[in-house]
Amino acid sequence: MNDIETKLRETVKRLLADHTVRYVIGWEATRFEDKTRPAFISDSADTDRLVWNKYCVSSLAKYALDEQHSEGKIGICVRGCDSRAVCRLIEDKQLLRENLYLIGLPCDDKEMNICDTCTHRNPVIYDELVGEPVLERQADRFAMVGLMEAMSADERYSFWESNYSKCIRCYACRNICPACNCRACYADQERVGWQGKQMNTAQNQIYGLTRTYHVGDRCIECGECERVCPMMIPVMLQTRKMLKDINEMFGDYECGLPDGRAPVLGEYTLGDADDFM
Amino acid sequence: MKLLKKDLKEALRLISDDFELLLPGEGSGVSRFALWDGGDIDLSYGNTQLPPKDILFPHTEKMYSFKCATDVEVTEEAEAKSRIVFGIRPCDMRAIECMDKVFLEKGFTDSFYSRKREHTLFIAMGCTNPCRTCFCDSMGLTPGDAPAADILLVESDDSFEVKAQTQRGKEIAECFGRLLTDGKVQVSKVSCALKTKMSDDLPEKLSGMFEHPIWDEVGRACIGCATCTYVCPTCYCFDISLDNHGSEGVSFRCWDSCMFSDYTRMAGGHNPRPTKKERVRNRYMHKLSYFNERYGSALCVGCGRCVEKCPANLDITEFIDKVAEVRL
Repeated sequence: MNDIETKLRETVKRLLADHTVRYVIGWEATRFEDKTRPAFISDSADTDRLVWNKYCVSSLAKYALDEQHSEGKIGICVRGCDSRAVCRLIEDKQLLRENLYLIGLPCDDKEMNICDTCTHRNPVIYDELVGEPVLERQADRFAMVGLMEAMSADERYSFWESNYSKCIRCYACRNICPACNCRACYADQERVGWQGKQMNTAQNQIYGLTRTYHVGDRCIECGECERVCPMMIPVMLQTRKMLKDINEMFGDYECGLPDGRAPVLGEYTLGDADDFM
Repeated sequence: MKLLKKDLKEALRLISDDFELLLPGEGSGVSRFALWDGGDIDLSYGNTQLPPKDILFPHTEKMYSFKCATDVEVTEEAEAKSRIVFGIRPCDMRAIECMDKVFLEKGFTDSFYSRKREHTLFIAMGCTNPCRTCFCDSMGLTPGDAPAADILLVESDDSFEVKAQTQRGKEIAECFGRLLTDGKVQVSKVSCALKTKMSDDLPEKLSGMFEHPIWDEVGRACIGCATCTYVCPTCYCFDISLDNHGSEGVSFRCWDSCMFSDYTRMAGGHNPRPTKKERVRNRYMHKLSYFNERYGSALCVGCGRCVEKCPANLDITEFIDKVAEVRL
């Protein structure tokens, strides 16, 4: 057990004992050392179930939507990405800040490629921090996008065609995404001529593109879409491409920060780029 | 009879004129059963990431096409190629038995399934090196045995023992002819890495636990995606839909998942399984209790794919152990 884990358990025990929160969302161990599972701790006797290690990778904020309208505070363990997911959901009017108690966890040890390009290793909002802040690193968020942009149009098409031919339409990428918080998803509408339910490359690509456009300017870059994809499709590369374009057209832009900036495609100013017109 | 491993490619060539051969292979980083291209054969796959169920029950399958002019013309899709699935594992073979029950028994034959089933033969390979998430021996299977396969291959270092288990299997084995030599292969008993406390009375116990508080917790981490059901070799639910283009179109069926909220959504918007609690309950109940009631066996074969692939790391073996601990 590490120091942070001990402190985390103590913190959660206290928050439950003094009724600050009804329950806390964290991570617990599974039968496999390299897998953890989101855990929901409501009894202070259960706090020892909580773990903190390099395999705590599941995004937690969206679970708060399960009890969106209930009384009392929900505690959430937040790394940088979880805290940005919370910002996303607050900004999208899905959660109220006063209904949450955020236990911040600086995060610097995850063994996931996606985390290499993380620019917010410390939570951007929290109520209390467990452990010391870690050093933020300069990372090129768009390095992979460069590789994609270097492809010719045909190469790019066949790259995505081959990736989306694998898609099994499990919708894990949608369901894990904090920006995908619509009450009813377009993909679930049973209408002929909309998103077809058949699994073929064309329909899979339509789903992939629509998903990207729906979340592109609200993506917090947690990379969960890519982590959960059972077919290992580089899903976040699409949103990253969109974010890169947005950065080039609208200036530095990151989502899920408590800076009050509206999603760039949801606002309009006279100075907006219109070179494409 | 024995077949040397070095002769395997030659053996498959001997039958490849008469059959389409489907082998475990990897494409774009995903392992699944695919048409053999005559190239090298890699038998190191444990359980393929995608199960072989789509060979008999494709993810998307045309049922019929139609054209409307002055008359309505309907064309039924009927293709039936002779195929051999080579290298299927005992768990996946048991899963085919489960699907046979659903699509062929109880007084109803699903013609789309049965056409393919009649023309498909299975050459199974006993497991010698189970994956870390394998638990078939807790579910009543033997990792080295696949009784429903037409041929069972028992693997040793340099050869396979070829055991023909059906008449069709014998005919295929005869095609291997001169490549076969007399002899048997000695193998030690294989045991799965993961153990769970599945028991004969668990299905009945579960059927009395529909309202048990265990369900409040067990599915909380579930994100409601279809990964578990789509990598499952036995999940067989499908939906029927249309692909219309003007006055013509295609009717197709495609996989559906009880983990989706719209799976049980009714006209008017009512949903009898409104939250993931009810959906996860249904999945586990179906795997471990309902199917037993109707067909006399579990619908979980212990392949471990859902355990490996669940984005939230839900684990059906942990659930089984929890149920085993419950005192009613």
